Amino acid sequence: MINIQDIRDTARDMLAKGEVRAVIGYRRGTRGMLAEPAFITSPEQADDLVWDPTCFHNLSLYLVEDRKFLAHLNKSSDAPIAVIAKGCDARSIVVLLQEHYFKREDVYIIGVSCEGTGVVDERKLASHLNGFQASNAVFDGDDFVFTTAQGEKRLPAREVMADRCLECRNPFPKENNVVFGEDKTGRELEAPFAALARFEAQGTGERWDFWSHHFDRCIRCFACRSVCPMCYCDECVVDSITFPVTPATTAEEKANRIRWIDRSATRSENITYLMTRAMHLAGRCTDCGECERACPVNVPIRLLNNKMEREAREKFGFEPGASIGGPSLVASFLDSDPGDFIR
Amino acid sequence: MSEQQAYEPKVVAFLCKWCSSAGSDLAGVSRIQYPANATPITIPCTGAMSPMYILSAFNKGADGVLVSGCHIGDCHYIEGNYLARRKMHLTMELLKFIGVEPDRFRMSWVSAAEGAKFAQVVTDFINDLEPLGPQDKLKKVVSS
Repeated sequence: MINIQDIRDTARDMLAKGEVRAVIGYRRGTRGMLAEPAFITSPEQADDLVWDPTCFHNLSLYLVEDRKFLAHLNKSSDAPIAVIAKGCDARSIVVLLQEHYFKREDVYIIGVSCEGTGVVDERKLASHLNGFQASNAVFDGDDFVFTTAQGEKRLPAREVMADRCLECRNPFPKENNVVFGEDKTGRELEAPFAALARFEAQGTGERWDFWSHHFDRCIRCFACRSVCPMCYCDECVVDSITFPVTPATTAEEKANRIRWIDRSATRSENITYLMTRAMHLAGRCTDCGECERACPVNVPIRLLNNKMEREAREKFGFEPGASIGGPSLVASFLDSDPGDFIR
Repeated sequence: MSEQQAYEPKVVAFLCKWCSSAGSDLAGVSRIQYPANATPITIPCTGAMSPMYILSAFNKGADGVLVSGCHIGDCHYIEGNYLARRKMHLTMELLKFIGVEPDRFRMSWVSAAEGAKFAQVVTDFINDLEPLGPQDKLKKVVSS
């Protein structure tokens, strides 16, 4: 059981001593029970920090944002920034470190272990609350306890947990400076990649029916890209921001510029976008599930990333976010890589 | 046009500069007959293949995509085809995953001396593509 007061004390202490610039954590949000990301910069604010089943955000995203902001100001980091990281978030940070996005000494990882449970899936929860909104959520052993207008409601965590947490193999943040909670590695409530295996049992036709339906529904709001700590490219392949249009640019030049993917939200373009994103995340995605959560039209983006993760694991023995010093998936190879599909 | 034209699959063939391009050239100068459906695009090395090229080819209406390079161990850039093998495997799996027919994507190793093999690879590919019909899953729909 994690005592939030310990995390608050640690944060307050570090800020008071000036060891860190800020602590990125969670605080009570304005929308019902949901926690929201918080940027704590003074010791007095440390008491705002919370830790509950709605802390699903992957806060490593804000480390990326912070680095981009510093780069914009042409400044370098004068003190590390502390961040609260769950198992999956800590792996995201490891991938960012592996890619030299920032230095290890620039970040202070406050690990929190997702002990017997994970985080809640709002969509699953909605079907259990009979139309009521929960105003508070707390961990209690293997259950979540929600406060609604009807009173307290206790639900087994298994029923309302995010899919990724059910399948989580590493709920413990291995890379950390300080860690709270017990290591419950190996608690796998469902087999890893269980949802993926269920989906893959279908034939080519059914798979296409499923995906064409979802690809049609994507509205290209790019919420998945915005929420992803790995989508940090300054220029994304879908928007040609470096194509300068001046009064002297001719119509022919505009027409002939390279456009890999059109911005229109049509099926073919959505496929190209989502598939390209899955490829770019191969061996980097740590299955934090934020893209799927952020998606306003519920496209099961996690399945695509999961597929890449499983391929990497089974065929290449590659585990994203396992070590800082290791090579990346597509920039390394083994003699034993499968080649039997090649004629 | 009065008669309905028979379906001819369109194939985009990404050939590495050092082996497969020369292999296709050898097939030509050896006067080996093989289907003319493949449009070759020379790339410096299969290691330079981006999954984006494949998706883009399908997006623009290719019925099949062929990627061909040097045999393992023969890469001009030492390790380009090892990297390609991994990347193309992932791309192929992803295409299969969303329900694209596995026969729409093919990869082969063809050396500069293997003109006959290149002709065979293209012939086999076209034969496998013909029963599948036109590729309309990933193709861009241009509204009129």
